[in-house]
Amino acid sequence: MVLQAEQEGFRGGREVYLIDPIPVAIRTRAPQDPGTHFALTDPAPGRDLAANSHVARLLRNRKFQFLLILPNQIIFWLVIGIGLLGTVVPGLNFATAITWYVWFCLVFVMMVVVGRAWCAMCPFGGFGEWVQRHTFFKRTTKPIGLNIKVPEKVGQYGFLISVGAFLLLTWIEEYFNIAGPGNPAATSFMVLGIVGSALASFLIFERRSFCRYICPLSSLIGTVGAMGSVAGFRTRDRDVCQSCATKSCMRGGEDGFGCPWYTWPGSADSNLACGLCSECYKACPSDNIGLYVQTPLTSVIAPTRRRADVAWAVALLFGLVVYQQVNALSFFAHVDDWLNAHTGFPQYPNPLDYVGGIAVVALAMAGAAQLVRALVGRRDAALPAAGSSFVDRTSPFRSFFVPLMYGIIPVVGADYFARQLPKFFQHATRVVPAVGHLFGAGTTSSALYNTSIIGSNSGIITVQVGVMAAGTLAAMYTSWRVAGRDLAGLSTSRRRVQVTAAGLALALGVITAVLYVMMNAAD
Amino acid sequence: MTILESPVHVAVVADRCAGCQECVIRCPKGALSMDSVTWTVLADDAACVGCRQCERTCPFGAISIEGPVQLAERAEVSLYHPARLLGDVGETRRGFADEAAALAEADRCLSCLDPTCVRGCPAHNDIPGFIGAIRRRDYAGAQTILHATSVTPDICSRVCNQAAQCEGACSWSLAGAAPVAIGRLERYITERAAVPAPRVSTSGAGISVGIIGSGPAGAGAAWDLVEAGCQVTVYEADATPGGLPVWGMPDFTLPDEIARRPWVQLEDAGVEVVTNRRIAASEVDSLLNVHDALIVAVGAGMPIRPKVPGIDADGVTDATSFLKGAKSALDGTGDAASFLESLGVHAGARVLVLGAGNTAMDVARLARRLDLGALCVDWMDERFALARPDELAEARAEGVEVRFTRTLAALHAREGRVARAELARTEQASAKRVPTVLAEDHELLDVDLVVMAMGYRNDPNFLSVLPGTPVRKVVAAVPDATWRASGLMAAPAPTPGRASIGELALGRESGLWAAALARRDRVWVAGDALTGPATVVEAMAQGRRAARSILDTRPSRTGQPGAPRVLVAYESVGGTTRKVAETIASRCFGRGLDVSVRPMGDVGAREIAAADVLVIGTWVEGFVLAGVRPAKAARAWLASLPPLAGRSVAVFCTYGVNPRGALDEMAALVEAKGARVLSREAFRAGDLKATGTSGPESFAARVVSRVLEESLARVVSR
Repeated sequence: MVLQAEQEGFRGGREVYLIDPIPVAIRTRAPQDPGTHFALTDPAPGRDLAANSHVARLLRNRKFQFLLILPNQIIFWLVIGIGLLGTVVPGLNFATAITWYVWFCLVFVMMVVVGRAWCAMCPFGGFGEWVQRHTFFKRTTKPIGLNIKVPEKVGQYGFLISVGAFLLLTWIEEYFNIAGPGNPAATSFMVLGIVGSALASFLIFERRSFCRYICPLSSLIGTVGAMGSVAGFRTRDRDVCQSCATKSCMRGGEDGFGCPWYTWPGSADSNLACGLCSECYKACPSDNIGLYVQTPLTSVIAPTRRRADVAWAVALLFGLVVYQQVNALSFFAHVDDWLNAHTGFPQYPNPLDYVGGIAVVALAMAGAAQLVRALVGRRDAALPAAGSSFVDRTSPFRSFFVPLMYGIIPVVGADYFARQLPKFFQHATRVVPAVGHLFGAGTTSSALYNTSIIGSNSGIITVQVGVMAAGTLAAMYTSWRVAGRDLAGLSTSRRRVQVTAAGLALALGVITAVLYVMMNAAD
Repeated sequence: MTILESPVHVAVVADRCAGCQECVIRCPKGALSMDSVTWTVLADDAACVGCRQCERTCPFGAISIEGPVQLAERAEVSLYHPARLLGDVGETRRGFADEAAALAEADRCLSCLDPTCVRGCPAHNDIPGFIGAIRRRDYAGAQTILHATSVTPDICSRVCNQAAQCEGACSWSLAGAAPVAIGRLERYITERAAVPAPRVSTSGAGISVGIIGSGPAGAGAAWDLVEAGCQVTVYEADATPGGLPVWGMPDFTLPDEIARRPWVQLEDAGVEVVTNRRIAASEVDSLLNVHDALIVAVGAGMPIRPKVPGIDADGVTDATSFLKGAKSALDGTGDAASFLESLGVHAGARVLVLGAGNTAMDVARLARRLDLGALCVDWMDERFALARPDELAEARAEGVEVRFTRTLAALHAREGRVARAELARTEQASAKRVPTVLAEDHELLDVDLVVMAMGYRNDPNFLSVLPGTPVRKVVAAVPDATWRASGLMAAPAPTPGRASIGELALGRESGLWAAALARRDRVWVAGDALTGPATVVEAMAQGRRAARSILDTRPSRTGQPGAPRVLVAYESVGGTTRKVAETIASRCFGRGLDVSVRPMGDVGAREIAAADVLVIGTWVEGFVLAGVRPAKAARAWLASLPPLAGRSVAVFCTYGVNPRGALDEMAALVEAKGARVLSREAFRAGDLKATGTSGPESFAARVVSRVLEESLARVVSR
């Protein structure tokens, strides 16, 4: 800050006091230099989309995110209304058709290809944010609501609350057979429930605490989105960020809010928590923030800070999708019925097998990490330096578990994507008659209602297995790279740990692919 | 002195810590560092003293402190209570008893690295700097540090309301603990080393400056101007220079020799003081013929009169008359009995003081020293009282009765002289609300004298010749970013509905910058005349800011010395507008003008104050023909401009398809600020590429010729 005074022509003496004496009294210490901490994760300067003047102009426009949210907002309020008031035939009801046959699949495409693209246009967070900011797109300064921070006790677990919310929502969806397809009104109630809880969160907590900590989809999009090709908003010159006296990207400036996601472009090392809202870009007084693209899988491989909450999120989310695969097998109905009969629970899915199944898979992932450590780990290896918080601390177990879980992100992402394909291939065309039905045109006998993009089970299974093969190959590559960098020093041999990690990814890919074959295109 | 033993724990939410180091670079104890692996903050609990600066400065709220502050108790200095109040004007507030006490208090200072107290001080004294010098027992050095920003440290340390300024903004205060006694330490310096006299420059600025008024604003301005070698003439309506601190502040608050000290030094340094010369507003123009620049520092001295029946009766006077008479009666130059006789009262008479602010307290306490009974009434609720809490307590201790939620409903006269006051009750639910007067429960009091001390307002005659005054102190919706970064703005308001310390401080800052701008050609305004009734330190700082502006712009009554200065300010998003701005600037420079070119975001009051001509350009937003306007950022910047008081402005814009009314809107915005639009032009972005830069160059040529014409005309007319 004294440096700043020097830049403004400070030469000592009295003059500068008279011009603006405050900088003279500021004696802040120089920030510590991160050195090479971000060398692996910083995108190449040439990949800054905002270097294009048209993109820059678009991002600087305050209506940018509003225009992304608006179409989705309209669709989701239509979903709520039509689900409640429209036909009870699920395939012909716009609410069921758009939500479960198209939207869910599109969200997965967006997260794999881009990252948090959905978050930038999400109508749930968007609605809450409009209310919280009491504007659609203007820069306001006094938020509505309590505006409190998420308590430290919750915040320290990062994305795990979001994982819990996703598990709960999925159980509710299964219990009420909302996507099954069940009663279209159930879809409306579910969407209303999400909108309501989002709104309540936005009115209690500051910024996008809902999206960062609570939203059921946030952890899934954050982890699987690491495969995506958009690095997010990042610093153009870290020195400028480090010496910035305002940090308007975090606190908010005249033209933009402070980052709603608690991400600083000056230290972001992945796209994990960049909601692509462009507020930091608008707020930066130095035009020092760019919107960068990156090679796919970079945010899986490159980060030097590996977070335990992300690792556990991967394990639990994998547990959930594997559970959903297993519960489509014929034997599972008997298991669930048996459990319900013995626990007095009325119907599928029994909470015990739901939680138990997910926990078994997640613990199996932990066990697999331990096994890898037992097979290739060096007993005399010193633990890498780490922080002391839940997300950062290390242990012999974590030193293998956390990197390995990062490595298998592509297989988990592919699994979720493949899981959505039967509904998409079999029923996506129903969106057209469902829209027509609103205007008295579409019926269950219309051609598009009874048409499938891929009709045969074998065709669907082929695509699912193909998706899993691609995901598995990607996961083998990421596991190989992650193990080579993070685990080599802890293992008896770099090559051995790389082969073992890639082998784990392959095994998981094969298991899930086999499950898809056994499921026979069940949706 | 007791150090609390309780441990302090620094909790960092690693998930939310972004590694920005805002806390690390500011922690006064160096208790924070970066974890090189996670690039989040590491805290050393043992080194933390719990000042919570990290909490206030963290942009994401990722750090919090648990446990009490680790701070020695502040040792209060007892007040002087006169054994016999009658006639005793001895100073009631005392300084430190000895050096040990001062050093102990200095040791409580954290020497904050981004000191919020400096922002809380309207003059921006380098408080950690002078406290550091006290620790070193370098009192001359401390005076040098103080002298850089204040010419009245001996006065300010006595009369400032530190709780609303430096001490209110002290890190300890913001953390909920007792602040460092900054005011008393400042006073201690002035007790140990004399306030240095002005150091008159031998080179000489060669500017003749007239200053109307010799209050703190006039003193601040005169000081810097005489130091820079200007010929300074001060016009003072009273017989003695010094303004309100001399005539209006009782000796028990501010001893007379301290109040007069700046003017003794200024006259010794060569400032010409013309006393008993009241300048009327209509004389401003004629004074401009004899001075290169004029600073109007006439204060805000028009007493506010309540509009109630009976207010014109005998026995009703205003605070100014009472304070002047009482001071003179008590300091030996006059005689108490004669003063009371002139008021038509005798010892033991009952004085009703209307108001319970600081001036009312001064009136009432002087009344007590004249052996009069004093009752202050104020329609505000005591919770929202405007008087300093310590001042109120001292007054009550001296026998002044203060009743809040009361207002004067009527005065009843007997034989033409006031005899009874009718008081009504009021209610005030919050500080923001104006009290409501209740119809019932009026009470009648026998009174012998009524003194109106409800505040002052500006002289309307001067307001009419000084465009834009009085300026309102404002805090932008998004306050200055470096102020927010300091953590000062994070402190909540002490009373609901009242401004917080940060808002108060930043509001004062807008007054300071307003002082840097000439209100008319060669006329600056400072102090209460600029912002309405405020404080001594603000007025002094504003006077210095106005003086600096004069020294920067070097006005001349015989013409513009040197080349006219052009400031090209632009708002650019893709670089086109910036290129046009640079082309215009380059052309102006080529014609011999003094040019600077900056993005609007970098242009503040200081840059505008130093420019004779503004060239303002922006891109236009909108889609094809829909919603086409100047860019929002540019509109906001134009709307935030200070009064331009006839300044010459040229406007331009760059557009894609059609600029529509963008230029008209820009012109209207600057004209609303009092500027004159010299020229306007819209440049099509595509044409610039196709035909080179001839458009901007020809526009620049037109601007240059108009600027030079005007400059010449000004010289000729003088």
